[in-house]
Amino acid sequence: MSTASPAEDVEVAAARRPQPRRGVSFRDAGPPIALIVIFAVFSALSPDFRTLGNVQNILDTAAVLAVVTCGITFVLMMGSIDLSAPGIMGASAIAVALLVANNRNDNALGLVGVLIAVLLAAALGCLSGLALVLLKVPSFMTTLGISAIGLGLATLMFAGVQPNITDTMLESWAVDRLLGFSYLTWIAAACVLLGWLIQRYSRLGRYAFAIGGAEEVLSLSGVKVAPYKIAVFTLAGAFYGLAGVMVTSQLSAGLVQAGKGFDFAAITAAVVGGTLLTGGRGGILHSAVGVLLITVLTNGLVQVGVSPYWQGGVQGLIVVAAVAAAVIPQRRRNQVTK
Amino acid sequence: MKFTFRPAAALIGLSLAATGLAGCSEQAGGGGGTAEAGTCAPADITLVGQVRNESNPYEAAWLDGGDAFAKSVDLTQERLTYDGDSTKQQEQISQLLAGDTECLVMNILPNGDSDTPPIVEGAEEAGAYLVTQWNKPADLNVTDYDQWLSHITYNGVESGKQIGDALAEAIGGSGGIIALQGILDTGAAKDRFAGLEESLAANPDVELLDDQTANFSRAEALEVTKTLLTKHGDDVKGIWAANDDMALGALEALQQAGRTDVAVVGIDAVPDALTAIEDGAMTATVSSDGPWQGGIGLAIGYCVATGELSAEDIADEDRAWFAEQFLIDQDNVADFVSPETDDADFECDNVFSRSQGAIS
Repeated sequence: MSTASPAEDVEVAAARRPQPRRGVSFRDAGPPIALIVIFAVFSALSPDFRTLGNVQNILDTAAVLAVVTCGITFVLMMGSIDLSAPGIMGASAIAVALLVANNRNDNALGLVGVLIAVLLAAALGCLSGLALVLLKVPSFMTTLGISAIGLGLATLMFAGVQPNITDTMLESWAVDRLLGFSYLTWIAAACVLLGWLIQRYSRLGRYAFAIGGAEEVLSLSGVKVAPYKIAVFTLAGAFYGLAGVMVTSQLSAGLVQAGKGFDFAAITAAVVGGTLLTGGRGGILHSAVGVLLITVLTNGLVQVGVSPYWQGGVQGLIVVAAVAAAVIPQRRRNQVTK
Repeated sequence: MKFTFRPAAALIGLSLAATGLAGCSEQAGGGGGTAEAGTCAPADITLVGQVRNESNPYEAAWLDGGDAFAKSVDLTQERLTYDGDSTKQQEQISQLLAGDTECLVMNILPNGDSDTPPIVEGAEEAGAYLVTQWNKPADLNVTDYDQWLSHITYNGVESGKQIGDALAEAIGGSGGIIALQGILDTGAAKDRFAGLEESLAANPDVELLDDQTANFSRAEALEVTKTLLTKHGDDVKGIWAANDDMALGALEALQQAGRTDVAVVGIDAVPDALTAIEDGAMTATVSSDGPWQGGIGLAIGYCVATGELSAEDIADEDRAWFAEQFLIDQDNVADFVSPETDDADFECDNVFSRSQGAIS
């Protein structure tokens, strides 16, 4: 009783402390403003960009990245880093392709197959967390290792023959539309909402913030942070797993490379949206804005007709500019830039 | 503290590795360099095939072709993969060359152009027989080396033009097309696109509406194609992709957009593309015949190692050459669905039969 109550008090105090909320609106306004500005500029430049069809296309395209970013955001809030997305997504993409109706075997588990793939991904994420907490390996290295393990599992399951899915439900996720948007877009929207609810109302989300802000204070207050760290990595793994399933649905095939490049794309999106790599700041909604920013940028550059030889460079320049603009309000606070 | 310590450790590690490697190659150079060509008993020959990874159907088929050749001469092939990692490739090569290299035959897919010179130098010093495929710097001449028997590649301009022409024919000779380029700084992407431009010049009514890169990736091609379809709408009659993975991504995008009137072409002849051609969803692709590639490099090395073919007798134009590639469309797709190697291609007086001329 007496040992438990101080912890509870600290949690409440941390949650209600008014300090971090001051200036939130000013600091958080940067990325959304950048999004609106970029959207307006592209709309002015290209009549193709401002069509309803293209807006649907942008949101459909953003779906997978949004789900990956949901996962990575929790890890970043905690001040850790996660590079395991490519491996975990690859493993879950191949796993789900082999579990639902496909051309390689007679499985036809449907939704259960999806669930198993997501659980496999969550288990891999959990492994990252365990290695971090029990073996004290920095998250940068553990997640890189888990990514390699995931890719290894995927390659083993792949066994030289591409699994193509014939499952009508999973295929329909990418093709069928509800109110103009594909099911995948709705799934992504649901993930963002779920992520926000976890971040805002659950102990897991609150502690993830607190660990990123001041882990020492938290543990000195008697909170056991280890289980929460493992839980955060497990949650992130589950999100990557779902993203891998979504890629499989889009491509109608399980690819080992399903998650290639998503680790850095998601970190970029989260940081552009205002989630700090040092932890303790940002959140799911920030990251969602970042995802839209990146996707609008990629789409807009094609629609405007920028030569492919210039696109990579132009995109990088705009991202750096957007991040610089977003962190200007915090520049004095973050004297040290590493 | 951490950050000062790690680079130091990395530096020490690297320099140790470097001295280790230098030691190895010197040793091997002294021991193996004197080996004379054509003195190996067939049973003493070691066959090695090395590609990026087995999760790529084309490269898996390449290694299977190597196995088929090895079996035909009662040997086994050592299958090596380096996950597209140049460092790992060099490590594997160094390990091989540190062993017994007298009757070693290597059929190597270098990761990139710049990975070829160290492999060639290593083989030359160690006296191993080497055949490379696809990648080499243009200014590195095979004829300057004794142990580097041959370099085989494919004329990308030609394959780009072949599928460009097939696409033009499929859309009736006129209409708009979009092009999905590969990784822009690779020779394959440049050559194939140059081939498309040649084809466009020959088909003046075909208009290139847009060209974008999808980095040879299926997932990226899906997104780029969706965007281009919203941009150009019904003007798009055909999609030219610099490889089959991108063509398959484009097919998914077309399906999601509910379009069935667009012709799609690619290059590489991956199994899914062949299925798509059989089903009529895709128009054409080009095959380099992966299993043959896996066998031919080992065959050339084997023939020289056993003395059936003398290295001096290989004509200069057979030291670096373009191999034949095959346009696959609905008419002949059945012949390529389960590609098999033909032992006759690997007979010692037949190994250069698919040459389309020296690399200029």
